[in-house]
Amino acid sequence: MDNQFIFQYSWDILPKKWVHKMKRSEHGNRFYTNTDNLFPLLCFLKWHTYTRVQVLIDICGVDYPSRKRRFEVVYNLLSTRYNARIRVQTSADEVTRISSVVSLFPSAGWWEREVWDMFGLSFINHPDLRRILTDYGFEGHPLRKDFPLSGYVEVRYDDPEKRVVSEPIEMTQEFRYFDFASPWEQRSDG
Amino acid sequence: MTVPVTRKDLMIVNMGPHHPSMHGVLRLILTLDGEDVIDCEPILGYLHRGMEKIAENRTILQYLPYVTRWDYLATMFTEAITVNAPEKLENVQVPQRASYIRVIMLELSRIASHLLWLGPFMADIGAQTPFFYIFRERELIYNLFEAATGMRMMHNYFRIGGVAADLPYGWIEKCFDFCDYFLTGVVEYQKLITRNPIFLERVEGVGIIGGEEAVNWGLSGPMLRASGIQWDLRKVDNYECYNEFDWEIQWQKEGDSLARYLVRIGEMKESIKMIQQALEGIPGGPYENLEVRRFDRAKNSEWNDFAYRFISKKPSPNFELSKQELYARVEAPKGELGIYLIGDNSVFPWRWKIRPPGFINLQILPELVKRMKLADHDDIR
Repeated sequence: MDNQFIFQYSWDILPKKWVHKMKRSEHGNRFYTNTDNLFPLLCFLKWHTYTRVQVLIDICGVDYPSRKRRFEVVYNLLSTRYNARIRVQTSADEVTRISSVVSLFPSAGWWEREVWDMFGLSFINHPDLRRILTDYGFEGHPLRKDFPLSGYVEVRYDDPEKRVVSEPIEMTQEFRYFDFASPWEQRSDG
Repeated sequence: MTVPVTRKDLMIVNMGPHHPSMHGVLRLILTLDGEDVIDCEPILGYLHRGMEKIAENRTILQYLPYVTRWDYLATMFTEAITVNAPEKLENVQVPQRASYIRVIMLELSRIASHLLWLGPFMADIGAQTPFFYIFRERELIYNLFEAATGMRMMHNYFRIGGVAADLPYGWIEKCFDFCDYFLTGVVEYQKLITRNPIFLERVEGVGIIGGEEAVNWGLSGPMLRASGIQWDLRKVDNYECYNEFDWEIQWQKEGDSLARYLVRIGEMKESIKMIQQALEGIPGGPYENLEVRRFDRAKNSEWNDFAYRFISKKPSPNFELSKQELYARVEAPKGELGIYLIGDNSVFPWRWKIRPPGFINLQILPELVKRMKLADHDDIR
């Protein structure tokens, strides 16, 4: 099937310096690379005749706080010519600077802005790296695991000052954690 | 910008977050040179509700009411992707009847979304009347949804392994009546709009996107198909039971607004064809895969035996996501809606990334509006 062909081909032909691990599963084939070789790898995948992955579907950041390089950036790619999808994953920590792929895939512009906004990973050579989804003047990077679900500030319109102000959050009910483990299920002794 | 201007001082206009034309909250900062638009900068984030962070703290069943609020025009697609992702992760089989019901609901939702694209599109061009006509048909679709699911818009209908409840008695006949009525409605729209010279003057040749450019910018859905690329996830991916029906991909070559209009009208007609075929061929059988709800922590547990099945109505589903990653996708009316899901061996997902089609399709706007008249920059969609 075409889906496996371009994956197998690229794994065979690429230098092992670029792709240091690969995983093939029914849920999607993926390459693991490191941040220095990310841009050449995507360049190869986009332009080479037998891979031709021209569509960047998604750039996703993931936070694994238990790891040393806590963030992982996942690029989901699609080749319309061969009907195949490939995932490229790199890991980074808070200060690693990843090279932006905007020159290859123009749609990466907003995706990288979102990863910056939500996680704090910055990209070199990005034409316009600023916040995209959070409020003006928002502090913090929301999707990191150490940022609480309810946030730190709440906003309200302050009538004496005639503008919107941010204040530290005040919750009347504490955060309830619904796990819905069924009472019949004994987790400890099955 | 490298676009030549005719005067030195350009006017910067803010089309603020609220619009009188139901676009939703989107702020555009336009740089104008007289009536020509030099540059446009969209500012997003006004409707960012933290859905991805909430998903990390909810089980799939608890999360389902949230997902219809992502895209409230085409609600069934968001639910479909939310259950498709865990189903693919754990290889859960969906019964045939449930698959047909899902396809019918999805196609009705697609028609509803395209109708609500058509209304504001015509209103932006200047024709106010179709805006009211589309709500006629959308109300009929809402009635069908309310009869089947209980809610007009924010149905909580899809479940992992099927749908929540079966179709009520007589729903299929009502749906057939709707299909017949809607075909006459589409003919009415075509008579009023498609060959209207004023409409063609406004829309033909506006906002042309080439095929290569569309692929580069990651567009999907009708915007991609109107530029000559026949890419429809329903044919390519073969999910649910779309391969059992006889339908064609709607596509056009020119890539301007007229082509996008024709693709969407064509898609509405194809959806009706699909719904009619599905209604005729719907099989009997279960509407939900109840195996998913069993306690399978211990496979041969006595709690799974016959005697205990009648103790309560249905046990609390405790669907556990294993430690795998998956990218699932559906063909939403706006484009490719995808979920990148990382499971974590617990009931909460570790990362739930939503790939929204509208977010990406909007990115091309600053490129397209260069040198366009102010009144045309709304026609691009």
